[in-house]
Amino acid sequence: MDIHITKLNKTYFSEGRRIEALFDVNLAIPANEIFTLLGPSGCGKTTLLRSIVGLEMPDEGEIQIGDEIVFSTRKGIFVPPEKRGLSMVFQSYAIWPHMNVFDNVAYPLQTQKKPKEEIRDRVKNTLEFVQLGGFENRPATKLSGGQQQRVALARALVAQPKVILFDEPLSNLDAKLREETRKELREFLTTLRITAVYVTHDRIEALSLSDTVAVMKEGRIVEIGTPKQIYFDSDRRFVADFIGRANLVEGSAAKVEADRTIVNTALGDIVCSKKKDVSPGDAVVVCVRPEFIEVMEKTGGEGPNIFNGHIDSLIFVGDAYEGEIRVGDTVLIVRVEPTLDVHQGDEVALRFDPDHCSILLK
Amino acid sequence: MQRKSTTLTLGLIVIVGLLTVCPVVMLIVGSFSQGLGSFGTFTLEKYIQSYTDPAFAEIILNTVIFTLGSAIVATLLALFLAYLNTRTNIPFKFLFGVISIIPMMIPHILFAVSWLLLLNPSNGLINLFLKDVFNLTHSPFNIYTLPGMILVEGLLDLPIAYLILAPALAAFDVSMEESSKVCGASNLRTLARVTLPILRPAILASITLVIVRSLASFAVPSVIGMPGRIYVLSTHIYRIIATGFATDYGMAAAVGMSALAASTILIYLYRYLTAEGDRYVTISSRGYRPTVIDLKKAKYPFFVVVAILSFILIVLPVLVLLYTSLVPYSMVPSARAFSMMSLRHWTEVLGDPISILSVKNSMFLGIFGATLGVILSIFVCYAIVKVRTAASGLLESLSFLSFSFPGIVIGVGFMWLFVRTPLYATIWALLIGYIATYLPYGIRPLTSAFVQIHAHLEESSRVCGGGTLYTLRRIVIPLLIPGIVSAWILMATMFVRELTLSVVLSRPGTEVLAVQVLRFAEDGLWGKLSALGIIMIFISTTLVILASLTGAKLTKVKTVGGEETQKKLQEPSVK
Repeated sequence: MDIHITKLNKTYFSEGRRIEALFDVNLAIPANEIFTLLGPSGCGKTTLLRSIVGLEMPDEGEIQIGDEIVFSTRKGIFVPPEKRGLSMVFQSYAIWPHMNVFDNVAYPLQTQKKPKEEIRDRVKNTLEFVQLGGFENRPATKLSGGQQQRVALARALVAQPKVILFDEPLSNLDAKLREETRKELREFLTTLRITAVYVTHDRIEALSLSDTVAVMKEGRIVEIGTPKQIYFDSDRRFVADFIGRANLVEGSAAKVEADRTIVNTALGDIVCSKKKDVSPGDAVVVCVRPEFIEVMEKTGGEGPNIFNGHIDSLIFVGDAYEGEIRVGDTVLIVRVEPTLDVHQGDEVALRFDPDHCSILLK
Repeated sequence: MQRKSTTLTLGLIVIVGLLTVCPVVMLIVGSFSQGLGSFGTFTLEKYIQSYTDPAFAEIILNTVIFTLGSAIVATLLALFLAYLNTRTNIPFKFLFGVISIIPMMIPHILFAVSWLLLLNPSNGLINLFLKDVFNLTHSPFNIYTLPGMILVEGLLDLPIAYLILAPALAAFDVSMEESSKVCGASNLRTLARVTLPILRPAILASITLVIVRSLASFAVPSVIGMPGRIYVLSTHIYRIIATGFATDYGMAAAVGMSALAASTILIYLYRYLTAEGDRYVTISSRGYRPTVIDLKKAKYPFFVVVAILSFILIVLPVLVLLYTSLVPYSMVPSARAFSMMSLRHWTEVLGDPISILSVKNSMFLGIFGATLGVILSIFVCYAIVKVRTAASGLLESLSFLSFSFPGIVIGVGFMWLFVRTPLYATIWALLIGYIATYLPYGIRPLTSAFVQIHAHLEESSRVCGGGTLYTLRRIVIPLLIPGIVSAWILMATMFVRELTLSVVLSRPGTEVLAVQVLRFAEDGLWGKLSALGIIMIFISTTLVILASLTGAKLTKVKTVGGEETQKKLQEPSVK
């Protein structure tokens, strides 16, 4: 089921300061997809999620889930959370400590007064689906973090809701478990073909889980796209910087060609991939990710996008070296293959892949 | 909705404010007034009269020695016990839990009386026994002295000191000691330079709190101090209002002001110290286990010491009272003593209309008072923890205010208040006074219960389709029940044994158990006292057990639905 959000506004007053948690948010979340709200803490992503589920009342706007308007200031509608037929996985999992696993998972069905046999079967099936078969009698407090997370997921799935909302559900797991659970979650959600709205501040989680990512900042949606679009072809400096490690070089557009744009920077001219709406003389920022900078032992090579510099520092990080290379006054972050025989202080040449030099609007 | 919650908080501030601030205001007004009946004109006469009394200096000196002495005794013993429990491999560690909880259930006045029955110079059981064995002409011990008072008060306050020190020792990061040793310091130097300084806030907090408690203590000073003519502030106030020809509530208020001031300052000091203590704790790393010192052969001697202490704290008082209630007069246990045992004291007490009235009154106050107190506490905690408006902080400070007021002083304040109302000399006066004074005992456990109910737990139920009432019934109340039960138990036991407030507020017709025990003690009717004392302990214990059982049953009922489905769930698989 799809979700349509129109002109949603919400303002808080915290310690005497006015905080715009949501500012004119317009959003269409497509059905049966994993849609992620990504952003730094305090950007309003959790407020938006809680507004969709009904735990928060926005000051203004309209939210429509499927055909039903669940919130509208203009029409004076506010459907309480228990009537919206959604489900949610909380950051803290919100497993009820006084109930066992069965009661926790059965709860949504019990609120719907379903017959006991049906509840029993559906809880059993759901627990098996999340690989917790046979855990029914376990007290909820006697579970590991990963198991609690699965109970929370089972509880969210058991009533076969229209939409599932996730509020940073993996942030309380340790790094290794988080990676495994992320993969599992992706599998579960793809199998079920369910609409999922997922909130996170973790860019890897967002990139690997989502069909669509919306990046938020200070209560506003900054950019929406597929993970690849967001990563490789962002329009915004904030997004490019937030989504991954990036070298951002300021300059001005010098020449616009058929499929290339040449930008004049402190490094020299950088040949970039074509961007619409850029005309010569515009102030722009070139974004080059470290993995698209080739490091060469010999200096002095000629050609487009080749720059000479020397290695300021070189740190071994396991699968590669992370290097800082000074070109003139600019320091660039690069990835150096461990097979390359270079050392701190060496002069090296860098080559930027023009296809992956993208132009950002400031 | 916001407006409704603000109204709730403001309403509670008014109620709690009336309960806790009113008696203090009346105490201050009273101390500048001419008499209880009518305020008269503003006068400093009562202050001049009480503070120029030549005996007053001695009372202050006694109070300082008594409170400080008790604090040192209690803290040293608690430190010893806490160290043994948290840092050594002493066997039977459950005893430490028993020591820190059970003595709270034995009324202080009965504990004091049992020691008096053991160690008084004329017929104390231990004295009689030692005189017999060693053919002494004089009793070796005299409890009617400051050291005697300090010993008993120190033992009484041991659980409080332990409850402060044990968590501090348990949270102690041993790596701090280890790093000191790695730096080349000897064991002794480590103790002096690292261990004790880190524990210092907790030790000082324990000393401060025990001083506050013993300053407010009335049981030991009245039962042991007064017969020996050793007066401290609380008994001095009692003397002014309850004995002699002319009772003077103005003078009592004037004297009470200094106890109130001292107590309030000490509580602020305690808060400061515990805040500092928290700061120390946060430095320590998480998730470590303290290294346990192997006591080896010393294990059992140390255990014997702990066992004797628990015997003294829990079993001995009850045994002495039971024994005394059965023998006709004080005598060392012997074949003759056992042959003379009878239920005479018991039948006398059960036939005494005032004793029976005091049982009824105390049970009413315990059951009904604790229930009312818990209901008020639930609302207050809800406003403090869940509503959290700007006024919540004020409400919180107000509810904990009475914690720093000595009971007898607040009793004098209530007297100035109630004498102007139809509540005077009724059981309702006691009820209101009890709830006001012991409100922190209800709020403490309920606050932690409310804190435990994370907002997500309720929200999650709403999202799962549970409406407000459904969520309240299935999530909030079941999670609150343990907190409600412990709050009720604490309040009910406190109310059944209440002495300090009651000696001021209790009038003919509103006698309560502890006051009746005090009357028997003043008249030297030890047999009847002991019988009534055993009844008192029996009532407290029964209330505790009933409340715990009810709590266990209530929490069970809530999950039965699930368990039933569970059984059905398993049946088919068996077939």
